[in-house]
Amino acid sequence: MDKLIDDEILVKQFQSGSQRAFDELMKRYERKIFGYLLRSVRNYEDAEELTLEVFFKAYRALSSWEPKAKFSTWLYTIASNLSIDFHRSKNRQPVYVLEDEEVLETKLVAKDLSSNPEKQVEDMERGRIIREAVDELSSKQKEVFMLTRYEGLPIREVAETLGMAEGTVKIHLHRAMKKLQTLLRPLMENNEI
Amino acid sequence: MPKCNISEAHAIDYVFGELEPSKMDDYKVHLMSCNKCIRMVNSYKRVLHLVDDAEGVYAHNLSMPRNLKTRLYRRVAAERAVEPAIHSNFFSQFSHLLSLVNKQKAAVFSLFIVAVIGVTFLLTDPFQYVPTYKENGTDSAHVKIQEYRHQEIQRNMEDALRNQHLRNSDKWDRVSQLNRVKDQAHGTDWANVAHQHLKSVHSEL
Repeated sequence: MDKLIDDEILVKQFQSGSQRAFDELMKRYERKIFGYLLRSVRNYEDAEELTLEVFFKAYRALSSWEPKAKFSTWLYTIASNLSIDFHRSKNRQPVYVLEDEEVLETKLVAKDLSSNPEKQVEDMERGRIIREAVDELSSKQKEVFMLTRYEGLPIREVAETLGMAEGTVKIHLHRAMKKLQTLLRPLMENNEI
Repeated sequence: MPKCNISEAHAIDYVFGELEPSKMDDYKVHLMSCNKCIRMVNSYKRVLHLVDDAEGVYAHNLSMPRNLKTRLYRRVAAERAVEPAIHSNFFSQFSHLLSLVNKQKAAVFSLFIVAVIGVTFLLTDPFQYVPTYKENGTDSAHVKIQEYRHQEIQRNMEDALRNQHLRNSDKWDRVSQLNRVKDQAHGTDWANVAHQHLKSVHSEL
């Protein structure tokens, strides 16, 4: 299927009965949505289940969907709401799954045998500290930061996705950056970058 | 060098590329001469660099879940298998009923009337035996009994007086007869009448 076709046209095709149109939409966004949810919930299995839930909800609602906003914005809205619900219902701090870290370590070592394993362990430890700092942000600060930085959404679309005013989004983003700056200052001062 | 009044928020917007184009150009010029703003911008760029490294490695080195699409369609199919059952059990039956109503309006109307009558019978029970006259009947019977009693007393009294005046019968018989009348007329005015006649008979004895 033509990759240049707009999401909204694919949605119309799906609404007309084309299953392949939904396949294409899923292919375009499954990695993004999964990555977004993985950063949000920090657990592979939970992110996987939530990703499935996002596309299931989208599949059911898409037949009556009207393009008031971009399809991607709508999809991120579903993901964001599910993520918020997840954190509320579980009422727990993000969990780092050792298994994932181990897989990551194995992959890194296997990829580059000439590299320094100790350096890689240090990198992993640094990565863990940084992710913990990100998880220290409030849920809204984190959502705004993630959508802006890693999903590449402009402030206007982040505002639409999270149902906030653009000014509010900017305030959350500024606070998130200041908090990260404070939390990561020891790493920066130790010249570890 | 004049003191810089540009806020940190401005630096953050610049790092995120969220400044308006005109402000972006002005800020770039400003950065060439403001150490404070350069430090802020570099600091925030380092923060982003650190986080990008950590988050990028974290997300990109993990494989995507397998069979996501298959699992999705399996779930959709499972839901569809449930939904038609609900539809057939309720909505289909309802729509069938509606079409039947349209086709057989007269029959449905008659059925409706019969149903209304039936419900009315069930709720009100129009053939139920209501002894509304019982109370009145009881009252009237009581009145009749009293009436008959008075008539009997009156008859007995008349007999007693007739014996007293006409036959000139035995006085002890009259006393006895008046006592019976008095007992019979206990609680009525006839008892006083009998009493008075008894007194007059006793005075004659």
